[in-house]
Amino acid sequence: MADSPARTGSPPLETTETERPSLWVVRPLATAAKQFAKSLWRPSTIVYPFERLEDPKFRSAVGVESGRPIGVGEIWDNYRGVHALNIQTCISCNLCAFSCPDVCIEMVTVPGGDPKHPKKCPEIDYGKCSFCGFCSDACPEGCLTMTTRYELSVHKRADMVYSPQKMYEVFQSKLPMNPIRVARPENEDAIRLDPPLCIGCFACSRDCPTNCITMVDIPKATPKPGEKPAKRIWKEPVINDSDCVRCGTCISVCPKDCLFWGSRE
Amino acid sequence: MAPMTLFSVADAIAAALLGLLGRLLPAGAAHAVTAPDVVLGLATVVFAAILLAASMLNTILLIWYERKLLGRFMDRRGAMHVGFAGLLQNFADGLKLFRKDTVRPREADSLGFWASPTAYMITSLLIFGVLPISTGWNDGSLPLTLLLALVIFSFAPLFIFLGAWASNNKYSLIGGMRSAAQMIAYEVPILLAVVAVVVLSGSFDLTTIVNEQRNYWFWAPLFLALIVFVAGMLAEMERIPFDLPEAEAELVEGWNTEYGGMLFAFFMLADYLRALVGSILVVLLFLGGWTWPSYVPSALTSFPLAGIVWFMVKTYLVFGLFVWVRAALPRVRTDQLLRLGWMRMVPLALLSIVLAAVVVAARCLPVLGCIPSIGG
Ligand code: SF4
Ligand code: SF4
Ligand code: SF4
Repeated sequence: MADSPARTGSPPLETTETERPSLWVVRPLATAAKQFAKSLWRPSTIVYPFERLEDPKFRSAVGVESGRPIGVGEIWDNYRGVHALNIQTCISCNLCAFSCPDVCIEMVTVPGGDPKHPKKCPEIDYGKCSFCGFCSDACPEGCLTMTTRYELSVHKRADMVYSPQKMYEVFQSKLPMNPIRVARPENEDAIRLDPPLCIGCFACSRDCPTNCITMVDIPKATPKPGEKPAKRIWKEPVINDSDCVRCGTCISVCPKDCLFWGSRE
Repeated sequence: MAPMTLFSVADAIAAALLGLLGRLLPAGAAHAVTAPDVVLGLATVVFAAILLAASMLNTILLIWYERKLLGRFMDRRGAMHVGFAGLLQNFADGLKLFRKDTVRPREADSLGFWASPTAYMITSLLIFGVLPISTGWNDGSLPLTLLLALVIFSFAPLFIFLGAWASNNKYSLIGGMRSAAQMIAYEVPILLAVVAVVVLSGSFDLTTIVNEQRNYWFWAPLFLALIVFVAGMLAEMERIPFDLPEAEAELVEGWNTEYGGMLFAFFMLADYLRALVGSILVVLLFLGGWTWPSYVPSALTSFPLAGIVWFMVKTYLVFGLFVWVRAALPRVRTDQLLRLGWMRMVPLALLSIVLAAVVVAARCLPVLGCIPSIGG
């Protein structure tokens, strides 16, 4: 008895359309014609520079089966695009430049500060920026935010560097912005002083962007017998913790390394 | 007044030009340049120039048309930024190709490499010399225009093979071989399908064939022949689904792999010229050429240039069909093409010859009265 498919148990092959050659031509032609009829008036292409996907009219035109299509008909306001910088409120704290993982922020002088103490604002190189948003998270004043602008193409590499003024223009164009983080962590560290090391040089209070350091008088220490009195200014910094933005400038300018991060009392 | 023909227009232009020239020259020389023979010679040149301009313009338009149409089939837009709706895009592309360096591989044979695109282009253009587009457009010139057109048309694989061989590249060579092999599959069915038309019209002259379609267009009795002819034309033009010689998925770019710059532009243009010729032939042989259906009011049909417009509309529709096929069908294999040619298309074409003979016989039945059609 010959081995038949029935005996070996394998089911007979399904009849597929490959066995009906007439459909080889007719069916694809019909499919193509259907597509042609569908896209005759308006193909799916969105002609980008002239039309934009965020245009609300595409909400119905671009059908996405799973509910709300992302980016169609609107840009969500947590989109991380070009930064907007409010030069007026920037306090030159350097935090944005510190926090940038790509080291693309450089603090450049902008007009407005006094000559001894120039005002510095961030300048961002978009050739390096990864749009992580850390800088705008770090900004204590909420003056560096990210907008929904996504068009960055330029002709020269140098044009990729956005000066503070340019980002101020972006700010003034009132684009939708990323929400600003305002709440500060409860257990944030504070600036602490190691009093015996301090020489009262005023460096921290001079450089603090928020002017939250006041130098207060301290009693002159009486020198031990046989020793010369210490040569120093008898003042010590006192930091107004609620105004401090934790920029660390005071720590980095201190010549004696007497300021450090420590938990609040 | 004699009916205006293309040649009479060319003649008038030549006469006017030479008349202008004659006024600038001294009397003796003026007499020489306005001699009838000189006018006739210049008229021929003008005639050829008009033909060349018309065919090239239509070819470039055809490329635009294909790009737009294919775009819609693929749910996109095609060219759209240069000129209105991208009409000038192909001119821009041509300009770009024109400015490119033409690189010849070191191992390639120089003569064959240069001669092949030139000959391909020339033979493709040559066909336009015999195609009547409407009454007055180069009609009644030769008694065997249909045969002549088909003969020139089938030169192409020779030049393709020449260019492929001369390129000294394995992909080119495979493409050229395929082109030669493919020819065997489609030439016979095409000629058989044409025989059916010839039986029905009783003439090899394209003008007569069109005039024979005054009462009914040949696609109705010869539907099978039309299918065979269109399929054969697709293969002849090497368009998808019969673009085996190009087969860019397997053979890089097939027989024109090594060609770039203006030589590539020549091949490209000639390909579309041939597509235009193919569409025109379908219209001439099966869709009644410039003849109008009887229900169209004669006020419309007697409009000057109405015949040409009507003809071109049909041509572009036929080409649209080719584009539709291109958008829908995948490429066949060589063996499939050969089987299709010999086992499907040849019997169908033979059958349609029989059908044509039956129609001719039926016309001569006493009940209908013998319509004197054979021989024009
Ligand atoms: S968003 Fe750009 S500039 Fe800001 S921190 Fe990230 S990488 Fe640096
Ligand atoms: S973090 Fe904000 S306030 Fe500080 S320098 Fe940067 S932009 Fe100015
Ligand atoms: S960290 Fe220092 S410099 Fe910065 S705001 Fe606080 S006290 Fe001023």
